[in-house]
Amino acid sequence: MSELLRKNFHDELEAIKHGIVRMAGRVSEAIPRGTEAFLSADLNGAQALIEDDDILDAMSIELEERCYEVLALQQPMAGDLRAIMTALWLNAEIERSGDLMSNIAKTTRRVYGTDIDPRVRGLLMRMSEEAARLFRLSIDAYIEGDTGLAAALDDMDDRLDELNAETILAVFEAHREREIELNVGVQLALVCRYYERIGDHAVNIGERVRYMVDGWMPEQDGAARAASRREPNIGVFDLDTDG
Amino acid sequence: MIAVAIVATAAALAVALWFERARVRAVRQVDQMAASLRDDVGVRSDSMNSALDRLERAAQDRATAPQVDAAEARRYRASLSSITLGVVLVDQEGRRVFDNPYAAAFLAGRHGDAVVGDTVDQLTTEALVSGATAVQEVQLFGPPRKTLHVIANPIVDGDQHLGVVVLIDDVTEQERLDAIRRDFVANISHELRTPIGAISLLAETLADEPDPAVASSLANRLSSEAHRLTGTIDDLLQLSRIEHGADDDFVPVVIQQVIARAVDRVRAAADQRDVEIGVQLPERELVVRGDDLQLTSAIANLVDNGIKYTNAAEGVLSVRARDAGEHIEIVVQDNGIGIPPKDRDRIFERFYRVDRGRSRSSGGTGLGLAIVRHVLVNHGGRISVDSTEGDGTTFTIELPALGGVQDQPEPTLPEASNRPEPHRKPKGGQS
Repeated sequence: MSELLRKNFHDELEAIKHGIVRMAGRVSEAIPRGTEAFLSADLNGAQALIEDDDILDAMSIELEERCYEVLALQQPMAGDLRAIMTALWLNAEIERSGDLMSNIAKTTRRVYGTDIDPRVRGLLMRMSEEAARLFRLSIDAYIEGDTGLAAALDDMDDRLDELNAETILAVFEAHREREIELNVGVQLALVCRYYERIGDHAVNIGERVRYMVDGWMPEQDGAARAASRREPNIGVFDLDTDG
Repeated sequence: MIAVAIVATAAALAVALWFERARVRAVRQVDQMAASLRDDVGVRSDSMNSALDRLERAAQDRATAPQVDAAEARRYRASLSSITLGVVLVDQEGRRVFDNPYAAAFLAGRHGDAVVGDTVDQLTTEALVSGATAVQEVQLFGPPRKTLHVIANPIVDGDQHLGVVVLIDDVTEQERLDAIRRDFVANISHELRTPIGAISLLAETLADEPDPAVASSLANRLSSEAHRLTGTIDDLLQLSRIEHGADDDFVPVVIQQVIARAVDRVRAAADQRDVEIGVQLPERELVVRGDDLQLTSAIANLVDNGIKYTNAAEGVLSVRARDAGEHIEIVVQDNGIGIPPKDRDRIFERFYRVDRGRSRSSGGTGLGLAIVRHVLVNHGGRISVDSTEGDGTTFTIELPALGGVQDQPEPTLPEASNRPEPHRKPKGGQS
C-alpha cells in the first residue's frame, strides 16, 4: 500500500473512531437528560430527546456505510480489520442504547400526571447515574484500548442489576400501598429494565473492545467448553500439557 | 454587544493569522519552484539562470520580510490560545485551519464534549451554506452540568467569503446567576402576593357577611394569612440583619446549649407532626466563637425544615454534634422525601422551593435555609447537603472550633479579640 493510500486509510479509521465517540457522546448526555425529563414530567424535554434520537439513527447509518466502504475498498487485515468490525458492533450497541433512552422519554408521556413515590424516584435516579457511569467507562475503554477496564465492566454491572431488583421491588411496594396504579407500576418497571439494558450494552462494548485490542471474544469460553464436551480427551490432554 | 465585540475581535485575529500562514506558505512554494526549475534547466541558458536568480532572491526577500509579521502572527496565535473562549477557524472549503486549545478540548473530546464538536460542525456547515450567523445553545448534563453558546460567523472580505469563525463560550455561571435572579423575582412575588390576595378577598367577604359564625371563621383565616405575611417579613428582616452583621459581638458559644435551645423551639411542631427528635451530643463541651442567637436560629431552621419534610408515618429526625479536630461538626438528618439532585444546589437561595405546590401546606417562608447559609458564612463555617429522594436528607454543618472550655478555661482571652477575624472568611463549599 502506497504511503498516501495508507495515510488515507488510517485517516479513515480515525474518522470512524471519531464517529463512534460522537455517537456515544450523544447517548452519554441522553441518559441524565432523559432521566431529568422523566422525573420532572417535562414533556418538551422528552419530545426533544425523542427527536434527537433520529439524529443518532442517521449518524449510525452513515457510520455503518462508511465502515462497509472501507471494508470493500481497503480490505483491511488483522488489527485494522478488528477495528472496523468493532466499530460496526459498537455502532449497533450505541444506537440501541439511544433507543432505550428514547423509550424512557416516551414513558414520560405515558405516566404524565401521576405522582411517583419519592423512594422510587431516588432509586431511578441512582440507576440512571450508574447506567451513565458504566456507559462512559465503556467508551473510555474503547478510546484508550484499555482491556483491563473493558473486562471489569461485567462485574461493575452487578451494582446496576442489584439496583434494578431493588427498584422493581420498591415499585411493587408502592403499588401494594396503593400509591401508584398498576399501569404506572408496569411503566416504571419497564424504565428500570431500560436502564439495566443500557448497562448490558456497556458490558457488550467492553467485550468488543477486548476483541479489538487482543482478539478475545466472549463466545470463546463457551466454544471451548462445547469442544471439550464433544471430545473430552482433547480438553483433558490440553490441560495436562499446559499444566 | 460583548458577544459581538468578542466575535469581531476573534474573527479579526483569526483572519490575520490565517492570511499570514497563507502568505508564508506561498513564499515557500515560490522558493521551491525556483529551485526545482534550476535543477530541471541546469546551466543551459544564462538568461534563464539570471531570471531564476532574480526569482529566488525575490522569494528570499519576501521570506525575510514576513519574519516580522510571523512574530506578529505568533502573538495572535498565543493570544487566541490564551483566552477562555473556544475559537475555530474554517476555510471556505470547510477545512478546519485553526483551533485554539480551549476549542480543541471539545473537538477532540469524549462524552458530552463530543456533542459540542458535533454542534461546531453542524453550525459551520449552516454558516457556510447560508452566509449568515448560526447560533446554538448546548446544554450538557455532565456531570458537571454546563451551558455553552456556540456561534458560527461567516468571514467576509468585500464580496469574498473566506470561511467561518466559530466561537465556543461557556456561559454556565452567567446562566446560573440569571436563573437565581429570575426565580427570586418570581418567588418573592408569589410569597408576598399570595397572602395579600387572600387577605384582600377575605376582608371583602367579611364586610358583607351577616352570619356571625361565618364572619368569625373568615376573621380567623384573615388573621392566619396576616400571620404568614408577618412571618415572611420577619424572616426577611432577620436575613438582612445577618447579612450586615459584624462579628464584633461574637463570644464563645457552647454548641450543646445552642442545639438544646433550637430543639426546644421546634418541639411543638415536631409533636404536632408526630416526629421524634433524637439528639446525640458528646459530654465534653463543644465551643465555637459566634453569635448565640444566630446559631440557635440556624439550627432551629434546619431542624424545622427536617420536621416539615420528614416521613409522617415513621418520622425520625437525628441531631448530632461532634468534635472533628479543627472544626465542630453538626449533623441534622431526616428520613423524609429527600431533595432531587437538580434542586440540591439551589435550596439555599431565598424563596427557592423544591415543590411550590407543597410550600403552603408545609408552612414556612422559604427563607429558612437562606438564613442558615448566611449565619454560617458569618461564622466562617460551611454547610453541605447529601440527599436521596425517598431516603431522606442529611445536612452537615462545620464551624471553626474554639476548643473545649475544659481545655481552655478562659475563652475570652485578650488575644481572642486581636485575632485577624478568621471567622469572617468562609471555608468554601456552599455559597
